Amino acid sequence: MNKLPRNKVAMQKRYELISEVLRNNIASGRLPTGFVLLEGPIADLVQSSRAPVQMALRILEDEKLISRFDGRGFVVGVPGPQTVLIRGDVTALDLQISGEMDEALQSRGTWQLVYDQVEEAIASSLIFGEFRIIETELGEHLGVSRTVVRDVLSRLSERGLIRKNQSSHWIAGPLTAQSVRERFAIRSILEPAALKLAAPHIDYTEVGRLARKTESPVDEAEDFEVALMETCIAKARNVELISVIRSIQLPLNAANRALTALGLPRDRFAADEYRSLFGLIERRLIDPAADYLENHLKLMAQKSLARLKIVAVVSEAEHQVPYLTKVR
Amino acid sequence: MVQSPAIHRRRTLRVLGTAVTLLDQIKEQAQRDLGFDLEFEVLDFVLCQGKAALSPQAYDIYDQCFHNLDIVWFWGALQPIDTERITAWDKVSELTKRGGISRYAWRGHGDAPVKKLYVQPGDSLGSEQGRFISMLPTVHNLDSFGYDARVFGYSERHRESWAWLLDPRAKGRVALVDEPAIGIFDAALAAEAIGEVAFADIGNMTVSEIDALMVLLEDRRQKGFFRTMWRTALEAGELVRKNHVDVQSMWSPAYGDLSGEVPHFLEAVPIEGYRAWHGGMSLRHGLSGDTLDMAYEYMNWWLSGWPGAVMARQGYYMSVLDPVKASLGPEEWAYWYGGNEAQADLVGPNGQTVVKLGARRSGGAYWDRANRIAVWNTVMDEHNYAARSWDRFVNRVRAGQA
Repeated sequence: MNKLPRNKVAMQKRYELISEVLRNNIASGRLPTGFVLLEGPIADLVQSSRAPVQMALRILEDEKLISRFDGRGFVVGVPGPQTVLIRGDVTALDLQISGEMDEALQSRGTWQLVYDQVEEAIASSLIFGEFRIIETELGEHLGVSRTVVRDVLSRLSERGLIRKNQSSHWIAGPLTAQSVRERFAIRSILEPAALKLAAPHIDYTEVGRLARKTESPVDEAEDFEVALMETCIAKARNVELISVIRSIQLPLNAANRALTALGLPRDRFAADEYRSLFGLIERRLIDPAADYLENHLKLMAQKSLARLKIVAVVSEAEHQVPYLTKVR
Repeated sequence: MVQSPAIHRRRTLRVLGTAVTLLDQIKEQAQRDLGFDLEFEVLDFVLCQGKAALSPQAYDIYDQCFHNLDIVWFWGALQPIDTERITAWDKVSELTKRGGISRYAWRGHGDAPVKKLYVQPGDSLGSEQGRFISMLPTVHNLDSFGYDARVFGYSERHRESWAWLLDPRAKGRVALVDEPAIGIFDAALAAEAIGEVAFADIGNMTVSEIDALMVLLEDRRQKGFFRTMWRTALEAGELVRKNHVDVQSMWSPAYGDLSGEVPHFLEAVPIEGYRAWHGGMSLRHGLSGDTLDMAYEYMNWWLSGWPGAVMARQGYYMSVLDPVKASLGPEEWAYWYGGNEAQADLVGPNGQTVVKLGARRSGGAYWDRANRIAVWNTVMDEHNYAARSWDRFVNRVRAGQA
């Protein structure tokens, strides 16, 4: 066995943990009806980046525990005309976070937490243009040393998310249509090939379960995409290949998450495509599956280009972190 | 006991759009003809598309241009229109249904409306014909620029070129329309015409082509070429009236507004061709029941002729020709669509004279003008990148102005 046994809570996704914390506190009344929930303060409270918080809020919205209203954020419950909005500091509410939950939220270690947070912030800013990363601001913002900052930046650079310009400043972005098109072109070459290499090492029972997985409240296409990578493609015994695929995917996936967080509609068709794909793989029809995957990636490329255009109406100002300065 | 009379709350249809179509005269007549109230919200192009995408609860009908379907449709803010509920669908012209006024007409670069017209399987938009459409085609026009003939000469009509927007003779007195899917093409046509930037496909520029265009514009800005940027036809007319510009992007109603006041300010017929646009109406996602029925009534009313006649009087063409012809006076049809000399003074939508006896529409007949499309207003693949670059340029022009 090469897997370490881990507690179930620790294995849950971050957004699931956060939604669980909020759900429990709504049930217990600690989060009262009418309370306005904002991403930022919740992210601070659970020591997370904003993306999982956004996801968690959307889950609770789907469960009708919280609602959108004519303002920023969400409000607890379903507000009627009589509902009084409560605007307050969520950290002052003394929310209950179970020890197990707290541990799970903390478990990833400071470095990993910092890295994930910065990676997510930078990757999702790429759609808004080109940014310079101010190292001192980054350190101050996250409360970490220059050494940690340097480690984080060099890892980001290895993953191809940032680069140095002529004046030795760290630069990120922009994610252009051209780059989206090129990245998908690379993916449609590499991923079908990797799938074929992976075939002997795939857990087909797991794939069968995925093929029959029904609607989930969260963005299932996104979940399926991750599942396809982890249960199938990444099983190829070629570390270099998988690492290339991961870095090609990274800004695309981050942009996709950022777009979904902006409120872009979910892709109702992609989930069905993934189900068909898992169905083919489950029946060991690897060649047709590889062709299907190639075609699916072409469709995804077109959809991503269409989604990218929409970002033009969104101002970057409200999505900025202090350590990123717009270059152009 | 005396029963109080039943109170009929008047039904209301909310329309979000621009000054291109949402005129007071239209609203009043439609309310009379349809028997329900209309609420018009008039915004400039940029604010309008932002609101349509981000606040789809704020309107029932979105009256805008085909090119920004790329933004609003893909936000999921709209629902398909059933052409079987559009009475005059058969009369809608080939320009929108097929992409050109005839099989042989030059289509122009960029996104002709047909490329966004039909709802395809998977909810994307394309030119493959089907029963459901994204937007009901209505008004359209072939835009060019306006210039002061005292600066560029009266005898240059056969040499009018988009290059004049970057001509040193007009330095300091140039204005462009500020809308990244419109103004950028005026600038690009000019840049290509002066030979400083070449585009492989001007309707779908690459990042490096956009960069080259913005470098050129910034250079001219620093040299003081640009007077300002404008967002509505009214603002453009004011710039001419106040003698602030020698050459600028210009939309049709502005010439009518100025009629007679500035006879030296001419509408060009660019040798490179026109920048075309096409307007239309879309239904908000989730619109249903009675309000949806009202929306179809209102859209059908738009194709009934009378509204098209009002649009013609500000220089805009309609997607259905016969009903419009029947609603215009013969001398109006001959001038606006036929390109013939005006046989009388002609009035605009608000009753003021906009065309003097003997005048002839620049560029001639509709069919001649619609055959000379260089590029369509387009939301290009790199729109997000281009729009952000464009905004920075516009902000610098505005800051320099202050």
